[in-house]
Amino acid sequence: MRVARLFFLAILMGCFYAHGQNKQLLYDFTDIPQSLMINPAADVDFKWYGGIPALSGLSFQAGSSGVSAYDLLADDGLDINDKVRDRLLNNMKISDELSGTYQIEFLNIGWRGKDSNYFYSLGAYNEGDAIGYWFKDIAILAFDGNADTFGRFDLSHLKTRGSIVNVYHFGVNKRVSDKLLIGGRAKIYSGILDFNSTRNKGFLQNTEGQNNLISTTLDADLEMRTSGLNVIRAADSQDIGSVITKRALFGGDLGLGLDLGFTSYLNEQTVFTASLLDLGFIYHASDPKNWTLNGRATSEGVEIILPGALADPDADFYQQLIDDIEALAPFEENLKSYLTFRPTKLNASLRYNFGKPIQEGGADCECGPYASQSRRAPRYANAVGGQLYAINRPRGPQTALTAFYLRRFGNIAAIKATYTVDKFSATNIGLGLNLQAGPVNLYFMADNLLGYQNVYNSRYASFQLGLNIISWGKK
Amino acid sequence: MKDLLKYSFLGIIALTTFASCVEEIDSTQFDELELTPTLEGSLLYVEASEQVINLVTGNTVFSNDFNFDAFNSDIFAERVIEGTVTYVVENTTSKELEITVEFLDDSDAVLDTEIFTIQPAPTSILQREIVYGPAGRSIDIITNLSSIRVSAINLGDNTSNSSAPEPMITLKSSGKFTVRVK
Repeated sequence: MRVARLFFLAILMGCFYAHGQNKQLLYDFTDIPQSLMINPAADVDFKWYGGIPALSGLSFQAGSSGVSAYDLLADDGLDINDKVRDRLLNNMKISDELSGTYQIEFLNIGWRGKDSNYFYSLGAYNEGDAIGYWFKDIAILAFDGNADTFGRFDLSHLKTRGSIVNVYHFGVNKRVSDKLLIGGRAKIYSGILDFNSTRNKGFLQNTEGQNNLISTTLDADLEMRTSGLNVIRAADSQDIGSVITKRALFGGDLGLGLDLGFTSYLNEQTVFTASLLDLGFIYHASDPKNWTLNGRATSEGVEIILPGALADPDADFYQQLIDDIEALAPFEENLKSYLTFRPTKLNASLRYNFGKPIQEGGADCECGPYASQSRRAPRYANAVGGQLYAINRPRGPQTALTAFYLRRFGNIAAIKATYTVDKFSATNIGLGLNLQAGPVNLYFMADNLLGYQNVYNSRYASFQLGLNIISWGKK
Repeated sequence: MKDLLKYSFLGIIALTTFASCVEEIDSTQFDELELTPTLEGSLLYVEASEQVINLVTGNTVFSNDFNFDAFNSDIFAERVIEGTVTYVVENTTSKELEITVEFLDDSDAVLDTEIFTIQPAPTSILQREIVYGPAGRSIDIITNLSSIRVSAINLGDNTSNSSAPEPMITLKSSGKFTVRVK
């Protein structure tokens, strides 16, 4: 029961939606090294940086497009069964999502090459993400059953996927000219755990029977694929750490990926950027275990038609019916390897810089001892702009639009404020703070701040923080 | 520096305005959540043509036990709360018939009996709903059900023939049961 309660709470409180992986505050915030992780062509000017292991990049995002925990568990005197019926069953749509993500960097370092037009970065991080769409018809079946209706229960509503992977990456950022930077990042994925069930089809339906009162039809093409689950479940509490570590260090499922990006200065103050992240796949061959239910069976119960039915006095019509259904729609298990594609993300921004230049670029650069290169465009105290985010999801791409304002305070601090709108929310205001104290860089970001008026009623919350050491100085 | 102080102050004001209001929730409500779907489907269909009935010597047309383990499996028996079994008996033959349905446990002891006496066509459809659970007969009858005995007795002759196309006696049945998932 406790597990069931935790699961229920996890669904309510851990339900995140499309912009669960949107890092609109960090994107193009080039004062922060981790902006390179969202655009490998971010226009950074570090000579080198090193992230503090396990603290350089932490992010967690959570939200709900359908209901919040408060909607269901508020101490309001209403019967929870009525609330579940009104707010879940009758209100949520199959496009509503329950999903989430986290990321922890273990290693992230970067350095400028001998040719100062090149900046290299490498590292490793652990990432987990999961998404589940609201399985409306299956939930109705679980709450109400199939009695007194000839309606069709759509089994394709079951659509979910999730994974935990370690990602090892190496990126190159090249300044092609004063106006253009391009970047790429190669990734090796070491899959620890994966589950997915995204291509389901079929239905369950009662209709008027031909002979008997009701005819029940199951038409199913369902599949749940997993990898890593069994070896982790089989491990005892002493071994589980080593099992996970082994899978994280290339002992699990392996895959390859690529990030691409560019930064283009349309003029001295106007910048256009874009990136495409996680163009990649993982081949799940280390510990696959899959379940399928595939076929079509119709039943009108046990049928006995005389006199033929009595020809065999030992006939077991009930068992025969069960056997027939199992043969027509077998529930099977297999160990086939499978391929999954990473959820690819697209980011783009248009930024206008204005106000007082913080440092001079180009030929007039007053470069200090730590200056990385002198072709960088001047940095301005202010910037405004818009960003686009899209992610490839099991039900198709989903997008978010962000307007932002960035304010720099010399070389020691910067604040970025965002307003993000997508199909789920029109009130997402975020704030990011970057501090530079000597070589120490610290950033903290949170969005949907209005949601903190009542945390339990918030349908989305996220934070990111990080601690780096940066070679930094007056340019 | 002056700007930084100004913006920091505004930021702190904003954050403290936004932050920390938490209206309590009561997670123990989860214990009161009930998942009790009602599932419905056909159970048993028996058909005997008038030709078969006329071929039988004596008045017992047939009497057979049919295995039916759908309800005594743990997954169902431990969760069922209540239910209804619906019977529809239709007689398009020319003779009065008596159909008896008996629910038996795994030692063949009779748990429940339902008798349908049905007139010849054309006034020949009987429908009956038997409720099990708090509002009806004991739900234990359902949870202990292991087989169903169906008997048909001919209360008329065995020579006449109905003018209806394909005259027969049919027993249709369906079950509708509410189970407690949580």
